[in-house]
Amino acid sequence: MAARILVERFSFRYGPDLPRALADVSLDVPPGSCCAILGPTGAGKTTLLHALVGILGRHHPDSVHSGAMRIGKRAFTPLPRDVMFPEVGLVLQDPYVQLSGVRDTVVDEVLFTLENLGIATEDAQTRVEMILRELGIDQLASRPPTTLSGGETQRLALATMLIAEPQALLLDEPTSALDTAATGRLQQIVKSLHGRATVVITDTHVEFSLPLADQIVVLHQGKVLFAGTPRDFILRMDRFEDVLPVHGWWEVLNRFAQSSADQSQAADLLGKALAEP
Amino acid sequence: MRLDLSSKLALVLLIWVCAFTLDWFINVPLLVVSVVARYLVPAFRPQSRRGNSAFNKFLLYSVAILALLATLNAILMPGGDVLFALAGLKFHHEGLMFGIKTAARLLLLSVSILVFFVSTPLPDFIRFLQQKGLPSQLVLVLLLTLHFLDQLPGRINRVFVAQEARGAPVRAGLFSRTKSLVSILSPLVLSSIVESIDRGTALEVRGFLARPESSPVQIQVKTKLNALTLVLLLLSLGIFLLFLLRWLLAS
Repeated sequence: MAARILVERFSFRYGPDLPRALADVSLDVPPGSCCAILGPTGAGKTTLLHALVGILGRHHPDSVHSGAMRIGKRAFTPLPRDVMFPEVGLVLQDPYVQLSGVRDTVVDEVLFTLENLGIATEDAQTRVEMILRELGIDQLASRPPTTLSGGETQRLALATMLIAEPQALLLDEPTSALDTAATGRLQQIVKSLHGRATVVITDTHVEFSLPLADQIVVLHQGKVLFAGTPRDFILRMDRFEDVLPVHGWWEVLNRFAQSSADQSQAADLLGKALAEP
Repeated sequence: MRLDLSSKLALVLLIWVCAFTLDWFINVPLLVVSVVARYLVPAFRPQSRRGNSAFNKFLLYSVAILALLATLNAILMPGGDVLFALAGLKFHHEGLMFGIKTAARLLLLSVSILVFFVSTPLPDFIRFLQQKGLPSQLVLVLLLTLHFLDQLPGRINRVFVAQEARGAPVRAGLFSRTKSLVSILSPLVLSSIVESIDRGTALEVRGFLARPESSPVQIQVKTKLNALTLVLLLLSLGIFLLFLLRWLLAS
């Protein structure tokens, strides 16, 4: 069951004398929806994801923070102190480090997560086969994880998290090491998660997230510059030229129009945006 | 010949006990046996080409280490007869013997642990530690360390290429290499730390530290020590006790 993610006026410093990595960040992601957090490097995107998954509070006991956080039924003031596994899953920016390195095949690598959950082998095998099929990597089942391509490794990294059936799935810049074809495939996979898990994606580019997101948040220097629907974001995209690479936004708008479920809405948006000076 | 990991580890322990407690005339043949075993005994053969190459390189360097230790001790440690003099430097018998003993001890320790790791796949070793019920935190630290060592050659090569591209004379003569050592070490250490943190984080978010007692890996813990492991452990204990007794009687 997907969980609602609620962050209220969350501020965070890595140490008492350090600048604020996040400042009064608020976020409300309804269950089963997708939220894209966009921003340049150093904006605080990864810090926010680490806070949600529970490793920020665990790894930085001397940090200074305030605000409140709620994931599903669990409330924190402000930070979870333990890793939120399996309720929250995080796929790191570099998919290669997501792999344990102690399993010889793709199947075993995914099984490793279930072993951590203490799930019996017979049931686990069936679940792994299902998830690999869903992500289109079932033909790689017996291959060593280290021999996979970037796109395949990204899907395997995703499988290692999805197998635990997280209520919320956090993807940290999932396309940073992918080519166009692999990005498109990943987009389809994330789209298929709609309703099953609450998805939060961080990205420095808008192309990947825009067609997927129900909500866009622009983060810059730890502050929320914008939070709203993709439609609102598109119509105000020119405001973020200094923060995001949106100068090619005509192309982005076209892609949005092509991949939107509601073509008439996309066309409407495109028309409106084009009409703007 | 098949050896389970418990027996292999017990054998390493026995060799370590021998290296620390026995005299050089036992340690040197043991060293030779360890090296020969790596080539002849299937259980000690390297599992990868990289492991094989690492072991051969180590053997090559160990000859240099042995010669260096023996020579330095022979020159710097006066005592016993002067074996010969070269360019005004006197080579003493006692120093030479001390150098050989120290080098044999160090090499025996290193070779035994190296043979163990090149002949044991990392996944098998980690699974073994988990099955033996070692705390997850400790297994995580070991795993990250072994990963770091496993990927070190590739990482060094990448740093070399990057520094070379910036014009650093990393593959020139010994002097230039020494000068550019800092420019290689800093990125090497930094990138290794960053990757270790990320990998540790990834394992944590996959629930590695929250591994429950009923985990399929943990269930297999209750295995008895096999006979060979038991013999090797008793032998290690016996040698150590004999050494202790000899030391007590001598004092």
